[in-house]
Amino acid sequence: MSMPDPFRVVYSAFRMAMLHWMADPQWVIPNIIAPFVFTTVALTLFKDATGPFGLYAVLGGGMMGMWGNTIYSSGFAIEFERWQGTLEEVIAAPSKLIHVITGRAVSNALFGLTNMIAILVIAVGGFRVSLGITDPLMFAVSLLLTLLSVSALGLIFASAFILSRSAQVLTNGLETPLYIVSGSMFPIALLPFWIHPAAYILGPTWGVDAIRLATSADYVSQSFWAGMSPGMAIFLDLTVMVLITLAYVAIATVLFKLVERRARVTGSMVQA
Amino acid sequence: MNNFKIFISSAVFSFRAQFDWLNPAMWITMKFVLSLSQMAFFVFVGIFAGAPIAFIAVGNALQSISWNTVFSVINITGHDKWDGTLPLVLATPANRLPLYVGRAMIHVLDGILSAAISFVFAVFLFGVDFSLTNPIALIVAIVLTAFTMAGFGLLIGGFCFFFRNPMVFANIFTFCLLIFCGVNFPVTSLPAVIQPVSYVFPLTYGLTAARNAIAGQDIIQIGPTLAIQLVVGVASMLIGYVLFRSFENNARKTGKMEAI
Repeated sequence: MSMPDPFRVVYSAFRMAMLHWMADPQWVIPNIIAPFVFTTVALTLFKDATGPFGLYAVLGGGMMGMWGNTIYSSGFAIEFERWQGTLEEVIAAPSKLIHVITGRAVSNALFGLTNMIAILVIAVGGFRVSLGITDPLMFAVSLLLTLLSVSALGLIFASAFILSRSAQVLTNGLETPLYIVSGSMFPIALLPFWIHPAAYILGPTWGVDAIRLATSADYVSQSFWAGMSPGMAIFLDLTVMVLITLAYVAIATVLFKLVERRARVTGSMVQA
Repeated sequence: MNNFKIFISSAVFSFRAQFDWLNPAMWITMKFVLSLSQMAFFVFVGIFAGAPIAFIAVGNALQSISWNTVFSVINITGHDKWDGTLPLVLATPANRLPLYVGRAMIHVLDGILSAAISFVFAVFLFGVDFSLTNPIALIVAIVLTAFTMAGFGLLIGGFCFFFRNPMVFANIFTFCLLIFCGVNFPVTSLPAVIQPVSYVFPLTYGLTAARNAIAGQDIIQIGPTLAIQLVVGVASMLIGYVLFRSFENNARKTGKMEAI
């Protein structure tokens, strides 16, 4: 049997994930509730403070919405197959597992974008946070590339989750540490120095910096590229993020091969 | 089987059941990770906002109880549905009250352990000063908070029998505590219209009592707050039980035990 066209597999997995979501849309709630609550708490804490806090709270909350969705979806992608007894069929199919998971990751990232939009709407409409976007084009580009970076990171998580029966727990456990390390709602400078390297290897850390720059040119003094023009700072942020994202894809490809081979040899995938 | 045996076996089985999908090593790891990460997140947001760190650290330390007593307890209902054990639970002739209340009880102990770990983080990582604390009063506040929040978990768990996906409610009600109960900011910071909602949750009273105990008040001084908390917690538990019985009766009449 010839290997199916990878794009067809990616598209089929994407479509399947969309259909699952439409069949049971309430799953969006767990993904959005934590970022929404965290944003609300942050906005309340920032209520009496002066400075660019709304920018951090709202964009941070939106980023967390994308993060949360991707991590949850990566964790549950395999778990759902286990629950429904279809994991064996997915593994037995001649398609590569990474193509199946990629299709799901892209669809999940798309849902993540709806999470971000929902949080922005709630913050602007419900909390009257003023959020003018200085550079709408770069905002859209930064958002799109960040979305892809989050998805690529989701692929790495998904590969690790395959061999664990505790994927659901790992998902819950990883969510908040990632919000912290990526500096989604406060400057990374506040974190202990030894955490900074972990922040720099996360693509979305750079993505959120670019998104904040595209939203407010004044933010450049607090960005990683203080002293440069906002345009150059965004370019550098996006370049670093794209390079990191490519590294994620390469790592995920290798991991999926290893994990799939191990699972086939030991027969431990479904029983993990 | 007498009621006490039913209570104990329900407690033990509901706790052990989670190790069907969770291994003990992961359980203990997550106990540390969840407690620390949530507290750290809000502490850093608080530092950025210039808010009092001790208030936030103590609030999140006590709120960590909810992961066990609300999130996990609500999810017992979910696992009964997913794992196909609900018909067996409803088929048993055992007394329903100890059966239903018992399922949350080891999660109470688990919640107390979470709070203990979180308070250690608050002291050693975030420098919260406990020098004035009345330890007896604080311990009583923590234990009562765990027990009453389990009652709240049973209330929502009972409500969730009528829905397909209890996980959704587990998420909503665990996270919303962060807004309503004075975990990261005082209840008075909420809009006046919303503030009465805060007093539906036993955690609000538990936090008030725990903060007062940390400030040096004794058990007599925090007693009235704890008494109201106990009333709210027990009432939640009983309402949850009524919902469970209502679901059971409806399921028997209509034959729609899992077809929701």
